[in-house]
Amino acid sequence: MFRRQLFVVSLVSALGFSGSVQATPAVGLKAPEFSLTDTSGKTVRLSDYRGKHVVLEWVNPGCPYVRKHYNTANMQGTQKEVTGKGVVWLAINSTAESHPDYLAPPQLARWMAGQNAVPTSTLMDEDGTVGKAYGARTTPHLYIVNPAGVLVYAGGIDSIPSARADDVKTAVNYVKQSIEDSLAGKPLRNAVTRPYGCSIKYKS
Amino acid sequence: MTLQLMIPASLRALLLVFACAGHALVGAQAASALTATAVVTTNQVRAELIAHAPDGADAGKTVWVGLQLAHKPEWHTYWKNPGDSGLPTELNWSLPEGVSAGAIAWPMPKKIPIGNLANYGYEGTVLLAVPLTITAAFKPALLSGDIEIRLKANWLVCKQECIPEEGSFVLRLPVRSSVAGNAAAFDAAARAVPLALTYTPRSGVTVDGNQIQLAVYGLPLAAHGKALGFFPETPEVIETAGQWTQSWDGAVWRARVPLSAQRSNSPALMPVVLGLGTQGYRVELPVTGAWPQVTTPAQVVPAVLRTPAATVPPLGFWAALVGALLGGLILNLMPCVFPVLAIKVLGFARHSHNQSVRRLNGLAYSAGVLLSFLALGALVLGLRSAGESLGWGFQLQEPAVVAALALLFTLIALNLSGVFEFASVLPSSVASLQARRPMVDAFLTGVLAVAIASPCTAPFMGAALGLAIALPTVEALAIFAALGVGFALPYLLASWLPAVARALPRPGPWMETLRRLLAFPMYATVAWLVWVLGQQSGIDGAGALLVLLIAMALLIWTMGLRGRSRLALGSASVLVFAALAWGIGPYVTQPLQQGANVQAADGWEAWEPGRVEQLLARGEPVFVDFTAAWCVTCQYNKKTTLENRDVLADLAARKVRLLRADWTRRDPAITAALRQLGRNGVPVYVLYQSGKPPVLMSEILSAREVRAVLAQLPAS
Repeated sequence: MFRRQLFVVSLVSALGFSGSVQATPAVGLKAPEFSLTDTSGKTVRLSDYRGKHVVLEWVNPGCPYVRKHYNTANMQGTQKEVTGKGVVWLAINSTAESHPDYLAPPQLARWMAGQNAVPTSTLMDEDGTVGKAYGARTTPHLYIVNPAGVLVYAGGIDSIPSARADDVKTAVNYVKQSIEDSLAGKPLRNAVTRPYGCSIKYKS
Repeated sequence: MTLQLMIPASLRALLLVFACAGHALVGAQAASALTATAVVTTNQVRAELIAHAPDGADAGKTVWVGLQLAHKPEWHTYWKNPGDSGLPTELNWSLPEGVSAGAIAWPMPKKIPIGNLANYGYEGTVLLAVPLTITAAFKPALLSGDIEIRLKANWLVCKQECIPEEGSFVLRLPVRSSVAGNAAAFDAAARAVPLALTYTPRSGVTVDGNQIQLAVYGLPLAAHGKALGFFPETPEVIETAGQWTQSWDGAVWRARVPLSAQRSNSPALMPVVLGLGTQGYRVELPVTGAWPQVTTPAQVVPAVLRTPAATVPPLGFWAALVGALLGGLILNLMPCVFPVLAIKVLGFARHSHNQSVRRLNGLAYSAGVLLSFLALGALVLGLRSAGESLGWGFQLQEPAVVAALALLFTLIALNLSGVFEFASVLPSSVASLQARRPMVDAFLTGVLAVAIASPCTAPFMGAALGLAIALPTVEALAIFAALGVGFALPYLLASWLPAVARALPRPGPWMETLRRLLAFPMYATVAWLVWVLGQQSGIDGAGALLVLLIAMALLIWTMGLRGRSRLALGSASVLVFAALAWGIGPYVTQPLQQGANVQAADGWEAWEPGRVEQLLARGEPVFVDFTAAWCVTCQYNKKTTLENRDVLADLAARKVRLLRADWTRRDPAITAALRQLGRNGVPVYVLYQSGKPPVLMSEILSAREVRAVLAQLPAS
């Protein structure tokens, strides 16, 4: 029986059910690898985009702060601008299935399409494992991974934490700024900023 | 709000838009009609602008005004530091000339956990009070003689969902008469504001790695020895929901609080609030020690790391095959394989009288080796496609596998020592099967040889395996097959060429002696495996494994007894073994505390992701030793070359930073770093310099090689 226990333990960990979730990564360290399915069921891995900048956007259409940036077309404009520079944009929804904000993949895809959003992929993380691995706390919460797979930016979409749509015009867009800096090979002016918005509705 | 929860999200989004529009409308009406609207009610809160001016609002008087938020059950708004999410309530005043508003006197908040996150905020009813200063410059309105106080407030109210709300408020405050109707509310609010502690110079915050240590002197006697609440006013510094500890050191309150890994504030002064029940104490603590640096790696990632393919020296597929073949050959001479090699020689000697049996055995053994290598290759590739970060030797990263191997090797050693014969333990049919089918035995020996060879990475093997892991499946399997062929080749030759076979010694009584002798390398292997497990699971795990090994030896011995004693002792020892496996078995597999097995030996620091880039950015060259406790080659190199006095002197002279990446347990970050170097196993020795491609050194590291590489660095 002991042997069998050993075998099961080793099999379980060899197959990776123990996961590779570590402590929240700091900026400047390796970005945690993940594998999620997009709204059409296709598997997407972070490592698929090794060699490119990758923006991770935590999204939840039920959150007024997310809607602030979509209603003002700020998020879509940022997506369009940076993907135009060869950057990959992955929108991730970590809302638990049990939460009223949860949108099933087709509904989320429809919402994104209705917003004219242009992420490279929209990914489902109902279990919240990827969100927790990155220490994502709010929607929106944005991260940038550089071509070497290192986390270079963590924080808010912009510099004015408010729900007021008007503030978008005067705020500094940290994602555009960081992509600009990183592509130019310069140190980021703001590598860590304050994410603001609703808390992510993680599965409890 | 249960009602709201039942409405579908999309519909609710629409309702929220209406709700927000509604609030704007309240404000607009108030502004246009100039009606004194002091109350705004939403579905979540009732917000009211109230005032307290018991002595009137003449020049020179201080008058209190405030926004009173009464939350519906379970809803909350936020403190000045909202914690992991949320936003503090904002008050924007429009006041007549000569009247100015101070800052919000924030009452003590409550820590509100939400799953793995936490916020600081208020539930129930809270009054955010603000002092108004009225100077002589204030001229009351001609007609009314009132002060018109206008407030535009924004608050974020959350339960599970969050709703940003706003309200416009107007209040007229008579200058000459007393307004004291809200005295009780303002009194309560004043009592809820934390008391300022007199600052003593010894109080402060010390940054210590990834946490801060707080020392607070001068707390009142009533608080001594009690557990206090901790609320830092500066947002984005600590891990709000993190595990923190506190203790009393006489009259001094001490705490250790983890820092947020994604900290965006590095304050020089941290105002904090400590709570004892409803009573708060506020103190501003100066910060000493350096905040952990936030690296800006965009600038420092060496060009070579940006294109991982470039780090693999262009090694053709055929060259890799030849390398794998040679690597497999040399693998036979590695210390972990040698005992098996010797047993195999014994086997050949036993059957040397029969040419055809020998040939068949040679083929069976080779098939066992080849199929095992292919199976391992398929497993590695399969897991690679499943997104698992694995590398060569990964089996030994699992304490359970190490323990199982130790049990197996003890069994083999006991057999070699003559404690038992398989015939007396196994049912006679199985034993005779093994005797009658030596081919099966030879095949299984091949499988075993591969299992124990895996921790030893021979020269040539590293590069070939690294390539294999990046190749398409068929080519990758071909590399594994070439390794197997190389590994099996010596036996195949010996079994087929009479000349080689003739060179083997004749069978005789010496074989029994040799067999007993060969038990000792097996015991030595067990000792090594116990040591590896000690690295993984600690001294308790290693101790538990030793006890289990002894219990197994007892069990095996009793199986060899006869008659009644076999039944009695046998069943007793089965029970003993089962009880021990149940009782102490878990110690064997329990993981050590994170990082406990990466001790910073003198001069060496533990590798972590991003550390190399960080050091390179400072212009320091970096030498990384990718190692693992179960990797024999690694230990050999460590004891010889890396502790060589001349090598150490050269490293010190060139100010090379030494990092050690310990792969004893599974570590995806190290696996990724190895992959960036085009490798898939340890040992790997690499020298990084800013602006140059990393220099990879041989797996069997010589002092001469390290010194030659170092000689190209400028001495400083």
